[in-house]
Amino acid sequence: MLKTTGLGYWYQDETNPLFQDIDLTFEDGQSYAILGHSGTGKTTFLSLVAGLDKPKAGDIWLGERSLKQIGLTNYRRHNVSIVFQAYNLFTYMSPLNNLLTAMAITGAEHAGDKYFAKRTLNALGIGEDLVERNVQHLSGGQQQRVAIARAMACDAPLVVADEPTGNLDEDNTKEVIDQFQQLAHQQNKCVIIVTHEPDVAARCDHQYRLENKQFVKLA
Amino acid sequence: MNFFKRAWLNVWAKKGRSVLLILVSSAILMFVLAGLLIRSAAVKATDQAKADVGATVTLSANRQAAFKKMQNSSTTSKSSRPKMTLTPVKLSDATKISQLSNVKSTNVTSSTTVNAKSYDVVSTSSGMGSSGGGPGGMKGKTSSGDTQIDGVTATSLTTDFSNSQSKITKGRGITAADKNTNHVVIEKNLASQNDLSVGDTVTVKKTTGKKATVKLKVVGIYRASSTSSSNAGPMSTDPSNTMYTSYTLANSLKGSKYAGTADSVTFTVSNPAKVSSVKAAGKKLINTSSYSLSTDDASYQTVKASMATIEGFANKIVWLVAIAGTIILALIVILMIRERRFEIGVLLSLGEARWKIVAQFFTEMLMVIVVAVAIAGAGGKFVGDQLGAQLVEQSTTNQTVSSSVSGQAGGQPGGGMKGGNGGPGMQQTTNTKKAADTNLDIQVSAVNLAELGGFGLAITFLSIMIASGGILRLEPKKVLIS
Ligand SMILES: Nc1ncnc2c1ncn2[C@@H]1O[C@H](COP(=O)(O)OP(=O)(O)OP(=O)(O)O)[C@@H](O)[C@H]1O
Ligand SMILES: [Mg+2]
Repeated sequence: MLKTTGLGYWYQDETNPLFQDIDLTFEDGQSYAILGHSGTGKTTFLSLVAGLDKPKAGDIWLGERSLKQIGLTNYRRHNVSIVFQAYNLFTYMSPLNNLLTAMAITGAEHAGDKYFAKRTLNALGIGEDLVERNVQHLSGGQQQRVAIARAMACDAPLVVADEPTGNLDEDNTKEVIDQFQQLAHQQNKCVIIVTHEPDVAARCDHQYRLENKQFVKLA
Repeated sequence: MNFFKRAWLNVWAKKGRSVLLILVSSAILMFVLAGLLIRSAAVKATDQAKADVGATVTLSANRQAAFKKMQNSSTTSKSSRPKMTLTPVKLSDATKISQLSNVKSTNVTSSTTVNAKSYDVVSTSSGMGSSGGGPGGMKGKTSSGDTQIDGVTATSLTTDFSNSQSKITKGRGITAADKNTNHVVIEKNLASQNDLSVGDTVTVKKTTGKKATVKLKVVGIYRASSTSSSNAGPMSTDPSNTMYTSYTLANSLKGSKYAGTADSVTFTVSNPAKVSSVKAAGKKLINTSSYSLSTDDASYQTVKASMATIEGFANKIVWLVAIAGTIILALIVILMIRERRFEIGVLLSLGEARWKIVAQFFTEMLMVIVVAVAIAGAGGKFVGDQLGAQLVEQSTTNQTVSSSVSGQAGGQPGGGMKGGNGGPGMQQTTNTKKAADTNLDIQVSAVNLAELGGFGLAITFLSIMIASGGILRLEPKKVLIS
């Protein structure tokens, strides 16, 4: 369970933060969509939740411990998987080695288990013919699925994604969202997706809109 | 070690880039190796020079003091013509000096002339001899004979023989065992002209006293040095008319009062660097108003100076190339890191420690450098050979010019190996020869390769350290929010 208390952030102007006094709770086994106009601070919010940056005000809690206490590097290694719009993968590796590398760095339970990594990839539609191919020779949708497979193969209870379907066509988008839903419901992870596509948001369990420096829950 | 595997995957997947990096690194390391090779060759050559060239301290009459005395006496007594008297060196003094530490060997030199009796001397018939009156003119003026007798302790200790400019061709040279014998070593031309061979006897006539005849037994035949014939000057007789004997025989030919004396005594110093300390210690043992000790380590100094020049230059090459190489590699790595910031961002977002990312880059460069060291090791000898040959040529020419100038200006005290006629000019010729003979022996040794590996490692390490500032500062958020 992830919780924010009094969370606030600004870049230059402290008197005009992107958002402030944010108290939100994200439960395990649920998926959350964050909508909002461009430039409102969705990515910035996600970078705080992903442990890529420190909040200017307030705290983020994972269970009983704050991110400060856990340490950001430690938090990124063990508690969160990040899926971005692009550039998710090591371009000089195969999908298989991408997974094995991430599993090794994060010290995942199945680290070093080639067959586990292959099964995970296969389950997301990356067949035997693709697992050993260089990822640069995969399509955008396939690459995004490898990134999701990587999140699945690692043990982190939290998965955050910034516009994960931004580069994908309708079919691929549908498939990728299905897989995020699987992550939440079958692996009991907490999934937070930033998107500007209402269709994508609608398929998540919960929706928030970031406007006027606040997160508004949509019915 | 996960970063190690990543490094390998990267180097392997980006073969083209890796090959390019290997080429750049090889070029850098090849120059480093060339510098290292020249440096170690220069060190070796200097050591060799110490052993080979050998420096000497010579005990002889103090000409300066004698000259002063002559001047003083000429001012007081105007009637008689002033005469410069040189006191012959006492062998007892020489024995004392020879017992000093660092004195390797002692060569007593005593020269005189005799007249041929049972043989004909070689007359100078070479091209240069035709000008002027020839040797005949000189003979009448001085009381010298037509045959030069060079009395020595051993021929092998003389400069001409130790430089291999003169060579024993038949029989043997004069050794310490020939002391108090009538053994003689004659020149090849003289021998063939008179049909003399080892075991024969020649008869000479003294130029002093009652001009008695003396029988000498030929024990060896030598070939005279080419330089002494071309440099001997118009006053001397043909070098073929020089015979080597024991200094005791030369002394007895001079006359009985010369027993236990010598023209000069040359001490070979085992370590050329110790020449001045031997000279200082020797000075305490002799009467410096009658005798003087002079040093000749010019050959050694010449070699040392030219090698020091090369060594200094090689050192500069090594460091300049190492520094330039580090900067070049650092720039390449910096560019590489910029190009790979997404990869670094993903690594950081996975929670990878920054030092392990630096370690990955270091490992990648190390793999490249290992191959580059091997390539440079193979190619470095070639570059070193070329550079070395060029350097020796350049620095020896420079050194020879400067040393002969200083030699002329300083003027060396006489009494060298060659009796009276060995002036500074002659001495210099020998040095020039020696210096030119000094070659740089370029060889790639295991030590060189180890040194090269060390430099490669240091260059890699430094360039990664310089470039890693980029990795350590990189904000994963900025990379991923682009
Ligand atoms: N490093 C930065 N320094 C200063 N201002 C920044 C920085 N990064 C982002 N901003 C500003 O902060 C605001 C929020 O940016 P953010 O990327 O979080 O928006 P977003 O909601 O993700 O927009 P989009 O939907 O276009 O991705 C923007 O106005 C942006 O210009
Ligand atoms: Mg954004």
